Amino acid sequence: MKILVCVKQVYVPGTDVTIDHSSGWIQYNPTGFRLNSYDEYALEEALLIKERIADTRVHAVSIGPGRTEVAIRRAMEIGADEGIQIRYEKEGYLSPYQTASLISSYAKEKQYDLIMTGVTAEDDMQMQTGQMIAGTLNYPYASSVIKLEMKTEHLVYVERECDAMRRECVELPMPCVLTIQSGINKPRYPALSNVLRTKQQKLMEIPAQDLVMPEAREKIIKVFLPETTARGVFLQGSAKEKAVELLRILHEKAFL
Amino acid sequence: MNDTIVVIAQHSQGAADPVTYEAIACAMELCGGDNSCIRVIVPGKQTADIAEKIAGTTGADVTAVEGKGLKLYNAEAYIKVLEGFLKDIKPLYIVLPHTSTGYDLAPALAVKLKASCITAVEKINHADGKHTFIRPLFNGRLYAEVVPETESTVITVQPGAWHKAVGSPDKKGRVNVITADAGSTKTRTISIKHSEYESAALSQSDVIISAGRGIGKKENLSLIRELAGIFKRSAIGCSRAVCDVGWLGYRHQVGTTGVTVSPKLYLACGISGAIQHVSGIKGAQTIIAVNTDPHARIFSVADYCVVEDLEQFIPAVLEAYGRLYSE
Ligand SMILES: Cc1cc2nc3c(=O)[nH]c(=O)nc-3n(C[C@H](O)[C@H](O)[C@H](O)COP(=O)(O)OP(=O)(O)OC[C@H]3O[C@@H](n4cnc5c(N)ncnc54)[C@H](O)[C@@H]3O)c2cc1C
Repeated sequence: MKILVCVKQVYVPGTDVTIDHSSGWIQYNPTGFRLNSYDEYALEEALLIKERIADTRVHAVSIGPGRTEVAIRRAMEIGADEGIQIRYEKEGYLSPYQTASLISSYAKEKQYDLIMTGVTAEDDMQMQTGQMIAGTLNYPYASSVIKLEMKTEHLVYVERECDAMRRECVELPMPCVLTIQSGINKPRYPALSNVLRTKQQKLMEIPAQDLVMPEAREKIIKVFLPETTARGVFLQGSAKEKAVELLRILHEKAFL
Repeated sequence: MNDTIVVIAQHSQGAADPVTYEAIACAMELCGGDNSCIRVIVPGKQTADIAEKIAGTTGADVTAVEGKGLKLYNAEAYIKVLEGFLKDIKPLYIVLPHTSTGYDLAPALAVKLKASCITAVEKINHADGKHTFIRPLFNGRLYAEVVPETESTVITVQPGAWHKAVGSPDKKGRVNVITADAGSTKTRTISIKHSEYESAALSQSDVIISAGRGIGKKENLSLIRELAGIFKRSAIGCSRAVCDVGWLGYRHQVGTTGVTVSPKLYLACGISGAIQHVSGIKGAQTIIAVNTDPHARIFSVADYCVVEDLEQFIPAVLEAYGRLYSE
């Protein structure tokens, strides 16, 4: 089997998010990048399949400027056999449709049986890319997968996690696209052997211009911090004083 | 220019889900305050009754699209049926709720319709006859204003962002029923399962003490438990992050994909306040949040905000409780 896991290097801001007014986008602090945690669940699911089905190859692909190499290599250290970097140098926002088009255009002739992504990216939280890859390649798909079983060589059974604690049980033939929800497995840490192997390996680099990259269909005109809408009372004083005050409130409201 | 706004209804057990009425309310705002340009589509097996109900409640025109292969939600079948229909109507906007059905369907549908797709919309701005859409980034730490650049735009609306639509009681919308056949699909939806978790303890508790990733390590659950111990009847809840790392079982998870709770008191410790978590505690009467980050989103819904490290604060509460209140 051949599995493609789409991974994203996300920016996870610390307590301070600053907007760079010249670019209109957030100001990146170089230490704030990491592999999207939802993608780690997708990768783990691919590796679990690889453990069960002989001759399975797992590829990790990501789009972005040079810095994204770190996330791809992290995926390889965790266990992906190969890393593919679609080089798109411009910093800032890339729409899900553009992302999906680039990945589809790369994956089209490569005979992947399964294409997996995390259910969402922690930074822009669109929940679109996987479904759009499926739409572009005309593959069946399921999003928010919380259980996955290979039924036969060509058929997958999944449970989609739905709202209000429901699950939709779905069967779909491969090739297909699955977006993976957190909690489906326990993602592993890199093993030393994989770390050493990755060091020896080169990434496959593809310039975005060599692939199909349509215009964005929507644009972000502005990012902004939400107004502080705290409607509550901030307790004041030292930790001890706040503790006493909180107990007073709880007592007054008859909770104690 | 075509200004039709299509709403794709979500329903279960023979009735439209509340989020459907919220999506219609969003569509009404896009329509300039009334329902004249709205067309609600209700795909499913037998949906004429649901369509009647929506038309009666909101005054909008409703089309029930009934057919084989539509009984249970199936992305492929829905797209097959809706694609042709929507290509004929060429709506300006197609509005869906941002739910596990809505966000599953919307992006792939947008690709088929060459439409833009904007998900988790919380607000609409109007300027110079143009609409822009406000959606969160980074779990609401930041917001983006997005403008579509296509003839059609698919949007999904965040549950709770709009109040349910109500129309004028004397004007009922028109209802028509069309039959469609999704034909054969590669994807097969087999069944819907309800979670096996026994969550009654949480949904019936007056007091819920809830732990987030901010507790830092599993051992700190003992702090949460001790804190819960000072209340007469309390239960332990948590964020999804705590379940995902295995500190607590999923039956403790509060939120859209967990339990919806409405206690008298909800005390959130080390929880950032992601929208999926906060949607699950809307019914709480009093919310108290303890978080080291003064900008944490949880504070925007909390009645009492404590900016402290829970590792110091909870022991301080326990100590003061022992001193002042326990007899
Ligand atoms: C489809 C989907 C469905 C989801 N459904 C749910 C759901 O039902 N329920 C749910 O909860 N989540 C859900 N999520 C996940 C959600 O988006 C968040 O990722 C999650 O709620 C974050 O959990 P958290 O607040 O515990 O962790 P974080 O966001 O990591 O927040 C930890 C917080 O702890 C604070 N903190 C750190 N250290 C301390 C300390 N010493 N003292 C005090 N505070 C501290 C930090 O400032 C931070 O605010 C869902 C996500 C998706 C994509």
